Amino acid sequence: MAREPKKKEPTKLIALSASNKAFEFRTPLEKKIKYQGKKVDIKLREDPNGFSYIVWKNKKYMLDVIEKNQNHYTIMINGVWHSFTVETPISLKRRRYLEKQGDSSSTVSIEAPMPGKIIDILVEDGDKVKEGEPIIILEAMKMQNEIYSHVSGIVTSIAVKKNDSVMKDDVLIDIQKG
Amino acid sequence: MKIKSILIANRGEIAIRIIRTAKKMGIRTFVIKTAKEPNAWYLDEADEIIDFSECFDDTPEFLDIERIIYQAKQHGVESIHPGYGFLAENPDFARRCEEEKIVFIGPSHDAIYRMGNKTIAKELAKANNVPLLGGSKGSVPDAEEARKIANQVGYPVILKAAAGGGGRGMRVVEREKDVERMFNLATNEAEKAFNNPDVFIEKFVREPRHIEFQILADKHGNVVHLGERECSVQRKHQKLLEESPSPALDNALRKVMGNAAITIAKSVNYYSAGTVEFLLDDQNNFSFMEMNTRIQVEHPVTEMVTGIDLIEQMIRIAEGEKLPFTQKDIKLNGWAIEWRINAEDVQSGFSPSLGTIEKISWPESEHIRVDTGVRDGSVITPYYDSMIAKLIIHADDREKALQLSSIAIRKFWIKGTKTTLAFCRAVLQNRNFRKGKFNTSFISKELKIHYHQEPDEEMLAAFFAVYDYAREVHEIEDKPLYVEKGKEIAPWVLNKRLR
Repeated sequence: MAREPKKKEPTKLIALSASNKAFEFRTPLEKKIKYQGKKVDIKLREDPNGFSYIVWKNKKYMLDVIEKNQNHYTIMINGVWHSFTVETPISLKRRRYLEKQGDSSSTVSIEAPMPGKIIDILVEDGDKVKEGEPIIILEAMKMQNEIYSHVSGIVTSIAVKKNDSVMKDDVLIDIQKG
Repeated sequence: MKIKSILIANRGEIAIRIIRTAKKMGIRTFVIKTAKEPNAWYLDEADEIIDFSECFDDTPEFLDIERIIYQAKQHGVESIHPGYGFLAENPDFARRCEEEKIVFIGPSHDAIYRMGNKTIAKELAKANNVPLLGGSKGSVPDAEEARKIANQVGYPVILKAAAGGGGRGMRVVEREKDVERMFNLATNEAEKAFNNPDVFIEKFVREPRHIEFQILADKHGNVVHLGERECSVQRKHQKLLEESPSPALDNALRKVMGNAAITIAKSVNYYSAGTVEFLLDDQNNFSFMEMNTRIQVEHPVTEMVTGIDLIEQMIRIAEGEKLPFTQKDIKLNGWAIEWRINAEDVQSGFSPSLGTIEKISWPESEHIRVDTGVRDGSVITPYYDSMIAKLIIHADDREKALQLSSIAIRKFWIKGTKTTLAFCRAVLQNRNFRKGKFNTSFISKELKIHYHQEPDEEMLAAFFAVYDYAREVHEIEDKPLYVEKGKEIAPWVLNKRLR
């Protein structure tokens, strides 16, 4: 296999959380990390069963990459998941700049949180909906689940009809914020 | 008559649980293989597999009464254990078994029918002076009638599927204007889940405890109760953990409620294992809710404190044996708590999380019992419920049981899917839960955040993301970072947090 031309290694990588918290880590590789002004041991291990875990302040934390798409990561730690994008200082700068340019679209799509079947659609095109209002009833895993709008606004399009089967993340309804 | 073979008309952990007892008793086990889970673990545990992979119509495999009975006869199986869910509380199934001279390991079809019909069940309770809540007499024909009755009883009211159980087809109505929408939701769901759209209305007790009594009854009229289970921690009427005993009961109340449970069982000449459910208000007034005429998901907590194998007793009762103990022989020993581990995303409203269990492991000790139907590589399908495992902890007292739970939950590792383990941690952190002060509103009122994380976890997760990303970059450049198993991996330096 042809080797890619050797790029210059980044000296810093930043994990940016969904709530915009940035965690910066730096080469070279060491067994201690600087934490609240002190150097603290960190160990990353794999147990014989194939679980990865970190030993941090004498406690074990089981970790798992549950989703990965280019630089987008969802990491599970002790049963709680966190989303990050991994950025270099340059890509982070660019990202922050683009964010400042503002969100051009004010239409929000309500997506199916799980695969299932549409049992009922509680709104019509042009209806005003409030945040938290049930808009669709989706049957999944033997339960009828009410799907709520997470924004207030006006329904601009309905992508599904009764008895449709939908996959996770399929768009159900578009709502114009306002 | 000694039973020599059982067809288990079920799957997952309960099939494996039944097989375990059958093996101990020297009984041959048969299970049903479906195309939906052709590699499920329960298939490997049984002695023989009956293949239902080919489907001839839309009836789901575990609901196909005639096919199951036909196959049982073809294979010369003497008895059927229905487990829970599916056909467990279907009186037609029990009746067809009786007609075909197959031993149904459960109650009589008549008892299933009468307790399954909530109207009849309530009349029986009333006739036997067991306390009850106000509501409709039988099922309600339409939303308009529902509105009238709800107005009479007073809000809030609850709509329940007449043929229901397990939280499906149940809706609480707080205001008159919501009656129609909720009525339609409940009937729809009841139709889907139970093939019967009938719903009835009942006064809704705000913030009660949900207490249920396990009973065992033989075919000779002997009935005992095995104490209660505390099932108040529920979300949308789905139980998430159960304990035995309940922190709310003392011996006097236990005796009164236990006797009421026995009275209910006797009113239908019940035999086999069964559960009588009560609501308990904050003044310790109890009212009869329903009787579940099957083994329940949460039966292990009762087994742990009583030392009685409920599946074994069900089989012996079906064989016609007398109960080997009387009420005074039943002792509740210590405290047991069961944590349900479901493949659900607690951070997104408990939505189902499908996928493959890449790895699963848990700590083992004399205090820990795990009932599960999955192992490494098991697939969580959308066809069945989301339960992965039940972690059952048994200790001398509640405080110890909770302490051991914390440790066991932290060491219960599942890779590949989101689970409710973080929810269990959140419950254990709650002071009122630890004190035993909680009721069915616990999750909505007390648990503001449905998962628990320790202070540095987000940072450690960030570290892992960066590590994984960097590893890929390095691998591209022929410099794999991962070293052999068990050995330390030199990490990056956490320089500082930017914000």
